[in-house]
Amino acid sequence: MTSKDDSAALLERVNEACREKSPLRIVGGNSKKFLGNAVEETQTELSIAGHTGIITYEPTELVVTVRAGTPLKELNEALNAAGQMLPFEPPEFGGSTIGGVLACGLSGPRRPFFGSARDYVLGMRVINGQAQDLSFGGEVMKNVAGYDVSRVQVGAWGTLGVLLDMSMKVLPKPAKELTLRQSSQAHASHEFASLLRQPLPLSAAMLVDDSRYLRLSGSDTAVDAAAAKLGGDVVTNDDQLWASIKDHTHEFFTQGIQSHGGESSLWRISVADYVPAIDLDGEWLYDWAGAQRWLKTSESAERIFDAVAQHGGHATRYTANEDPSQPAFQPVKDPMRRLQSRVRDSFDPHRLFNRGRFHPEFDHVDAPDGAVSV
Amino acid sequence: MSANPSVPLAEILETSDILADRQQRRERHAIALQAIVPEEAILSTVEQLRPYESDGLTAMKATPLLVVLPDTIDQIQAIMRWAKSNEVPVVARGAGTGLSGGALPHEDGIILGLAKFNKILELNEELGFARVQPGVRNLAISDAARPHGLYYAPDPSSQIACTIGGNVAENSGGVHCLKYGLTVHNVLSATVVTIDGDIMTFGCDGHDNEGYDLLALLTGSEGMLAVTVEVKVKLLPVPPVAKLVVAAFDSVEAAGDAVGEVIAAGIIPAGLELMDKPAIIAAEAFAKCGYPTDAAALLLCELDGLAEEVDAQVAGVSEVFSRCSVTSLHVAESEEERLLLWKGRKSAFPAVGRLAPDYYCIDGTIPRKQLSYVLQRMDEMSAEYELPIANVFHAGDGNLHPLIMFDAGKPGELHRTEELGSRILQLCVEVGGTVTGEHGVGVEKINEMCVQFDENTLTQFHSVKAAFDPEGLLNPGKAVPTLQRCAEFGAMHVHHGELPFPELERF
Ligand SMILES: Cc1cc2nc3c(=O)[nH]c(=O)nc-3n(C[C@H](O)[C@H](O)[C@H](O)COP(=O)(O)OP(=O)(O)OC[C@H]3O[C@@H](n4cnc5c(N)ncnc54)[C@H](O)[C@@H]3O)c2cc1C
Repeated sequence: MTSKDDSAALLERVNEACREKSPLRIVGGNSKKFLGNAVEETQTELSIAGHTGIITYEPTELVVTVRAGTPLKELNEALNAAGQMLPFEPPEFGGSTIGGVLACGLSGPRRPFFGSARDYVLGMRVINGQAQDLSFGGEVMKNVAGYDVSRVQVGAWGTLGVLLDMSMKVLPKPAKELTLRQSSQAHASHEFASLLRQPLPLSAAMLVDDSRYLRLSGSDTAVDAAAAKLGGDVVTNDDQLWASIKDHTHEFFTQGIQSHGGESSLWRISVADYVPAIDLDGEWLYDWAGAQRWLKTSESAERIFDAVAQHGGHATRYTANEDPSQPAFQPVKDPMRRLQSRVRDSFDPHRLFNRGRFHPEFDHVDAPDGAVSV
Repeated sequence: MSANPSVPLAEILETSDILADRQQRRERHAIALQAIVPEEAILSTVEQLRPYESDGLTAMKATPLLVVLPDTIDQIQAIMRWAKSNEVPVVARGAGTGLSGGALPHEDGIILGLAKFNKILELNEELGFARVQPGVRNLAISDAARPHGLYYAPDPSSQIACTIGGNVAENSGGVHCLKYGLTVHNVLSATVVTIDGDIMTFGCDGHDNEGYDLLALLTGSEGMLAVTVEVKVKLLPVPPVAKLVVAAFDSVEAAGDAVGEVIAAGIIPAGLELMDKPAIIAAEAFAKCGYPTDAAALLLCELDGLAEEVDAQVAGVSEVFSRCSVTSLHVAESEEERLLLWKGRKSAFPAVGRLAPDYYCIDGTIPRKQLSYVLQRMDEMSAEYELPIANVFHAGDGNLHPLIMFDAGKPGELHRTEELGSRILQLCVEVGGTVTGEHGVGVEKINEMCVQFDENTLTQFHSVKAAFDPEGLLNPGKAVPTLQRCAEFGAMHVHHGELPFPELERF
C-alpha cells in the first residue's frame, strides 16, 4: 500500500484558493462523480487521491486512523487481514476512497443493525474554508470535549471542509454469516417491524422482486439457531449478493437506468422502515429493512420530493443530471435552511468547497437583514 | 467579606451596586415573564433559588436571577424570544446530576428548568421507539418499555435521576455502551427550540436526514446550541440471556492487559468494568455483594445476547482470563447474583464517598493500551499530593473515573484536589486521550480544553456556536474556553499524543 502525507500541499492549495476566493471541487477517487448536483467544470479540482495510507492501526484498540485518499479496497484488505471490518459496510464504486465514502456519508446493508458511517467516526483532521488545519475528536471511544465536528463532516459532501485524516472504530468480523431467502410479495408497511423487535442476530434485510433476504451474523451456534427459527432457503455465495446490492452491481442497478435526461433515473429514498409502499411509479428495491428504498423511475424530482416528504423522509437522485430544475437533494426549507446555511458559513465563509454540489440553498450567505445573496 | 480589611471600600461599594442592580433586574424580569408563564412557575426568592445553585459538581455555586419552570413548548419558545430580545442568558437544566458544572447558573441569567416535561408521549412497541419529553428520567424509559420486551440501552449510573434532555446534552454513556453505543447512537431525533424561538427537528424517522447531521452536533453540546424539547429514542429488544463473569487479578496492570486480550479475541462484551483495590473494598463494604476483597483488581465482564452466543463468549473470555493469570474466576449463578454484583459497581461512587468526607470524580479517556502506564502514573501523583485515589471505570472503552478522596474542611485540600485532577486530565491528553469521556467540559474542564485543542480549533468551535446562537446567550462561559482564558491558564497545547519525551519507555 502506498503511504504519502500530502497534507502540506493540500493546505497550501486551500490557502491559495482562500486568498483568491476561487472555489474548489474536491475529488477523491472520482467514483461518485455522478452523485450530487453537477458542479461547474471551471472550478479548480483539489484531488486528495495523493494523500494516502494507514497512519495507525492497532486491532486490540479497535481503531484505525487513515488518510482520506486511501482506497477503500486497500483499507478493507488491511482490516480483513486482522479479522476486522468497517461495521457500516461502505459501498465501493470502483476506486472509492475512504474520504469520499465519509464525505458522502455512505453505509451499506449492515447499517440498520450496526449503525452508520457517522456512528463509527471517532475523530477527524480537516482543512476548513479559512485554510486552517484542525483536529476534532480523537482515537478514543468516548470523547465529549468540544462539539462533535467529526460526525457532522460525515455526509456534508465536503462543504464543511477538506477531510484529511479520519479515525474510525472497527469491529471483529462475525464468526459466521448466513443468508436466508424467503418468498414475499409486495412491500407491506410493517414487513420488517416484527423481525426488528426480536433479539435476532440480523445484519441485513432486503426485499427485491418476490424475495426477501435476511442475513444473520454471529457465532456458529447462534446463527444456526436463528436460521432454524426463521426458515427459508440458504443462499449460496451470499457475499456476492450483498456486495452487488452495496456496490450497485446487482442487475436492479445496472439495467434500465439512463442518465442525462434519459428515460429513467435511480433515486435513493430514506424513510422509516415501517412507511407503507409510496405512491410513485417505477421499480423498487427495499434495503435496510425497508428504510432505504431504491426507485427506478421517470417521475420528476419535484413529484418524488413531495411524495417522500409526506412520509417524513427525503430523496436523493443517484443518476447524473445537469438540469438545475432537477436537484439531486431534497431542498431544505426555512428556518432549517437558514440554520444549515449558517453552519456552512461557520466552516466555509467564502463557500470555497464544492459550491453547488450539495444543497445549493446552503451556498447563500444570509445578510443580517434577512436578504439572501450568493 | 466586609470584615476583611484588605478589601478596599470602593470595591465593596461596587459589589453592593452590582447586587442591587441584580435584584432590580430580578424583579423586572419576573414581572415580564409572568406574561408567558403563570406566577408560580417563576422562582425568585433566596430559598426558592438555593436548590438550583449547583449541579452534581457541588464545589461550584452561583445564584441565578430566576428559575423558570415552563410546561409547554409554546412557553419555551416565548421565553427564548424574550431572552433574546432582552439579552438574558439562559441555562437549561434537567435533573442537575451533571458532574462538570454544565447546569451551573449564570448570575445574570435564568435557569430554564425542564422538570415539568416529564411525560412519555408515545411508546411504540411495534416499531421500537419512544417519544419522550426532555425531563423524562433515563430509567423511566426502560421501565416503561420492559413489559414489551424492549429497553433503552444507554445506562448512566445516575439513570434513576438524570433526564434524557441532559443525556443528549452530555452524550452520556453507561456500563453497556461498549456494545450498545452512547446516547448519540441511540437517539433517532431531537426536537429543539433555538434562541430565536424557532422549533425544528434534527434527525428523522429514517436513518438519515437531508442536509447536515445536526443531531450529531447537538448531542454532547452541553446546552450551548439549542434547548431540547422532545426526544425520540430507539428501543432495543431485551437480550434473552445476560451473564456476568467476575475475574480477580493480583495487579491492576494484569487486569488492564486482560481487557485488551478480550478485545483481541474478537469478543465485544456488553460491559467491561475495572475496579481497583480501594474501590473493591469500598463497594463491598457498601453493597455486600461478595467481591473478593483480597484482589488487587476486579474485572466485571458482561456478555449478553442469544443463549448460544453467550455460552460461546463466556467460554471465550474465561479462557482469555486464565491466560492472563487470573487469580479467581466466577460466573454469576443466578439473575439475583448478577444484579447484586452489578449493584456493587453501580454504587461504587457513593461507597467511596463513605471513605472520605469528599470525593472528586475525574473523567478522562485514554487509548486502552496506555491503561497500565496511566494507572501507575496516577499512583505516583496520588502519593505526591498525599490524596488517595480509588479507580472504578469503563475499562473496555478506556474511560477512566479516578475518584480523588479529600476533605474540603481542611484548608487548601480542595485546591490541591483540583490541581491533581487537572494533572490527571493533562496526562490523558499526553497519551493521546481526551479530558472528558462522558461528563462534559462544563465549567470544570474549561482550562484543560486549552491543552487539548489549539487556538484555531477553539475558534472553529466558537464559530459553530455562533451559527446557532450569535449573541452567546445559551449557557455562556461553558464548554469552550475563550482564547484569552487559555492565555491566562498558560497551558501548552499537546499535539495529538506527541509526548514531551517520546524516546522514553512508557511501560
Ligand atoms: C452518581 C452519578 C453517576 C453518574 N454516572 C454517569 C455515567 O455513568 N455516565 C455518564 O455519562 N454520566 C454520568 N453522570 C453524569 C450525569 O448524570 C449525566 O451527565 C446526565 O446526562 C446529566 O443529566 P441531567 O438531567 O442531570 O442534566 P443536568 O445536570 O441538569 O444538565 C447537564 C447539561 O445539560 C444541559 N441540559 C439539560 N437538559 C437540557 C435540555 N433539555 N436541552 C438542552 N440542554 C440541556 C444543561 O444545561 C447542562 O449543560 C453521573 C452523575 C452522578 C451524580
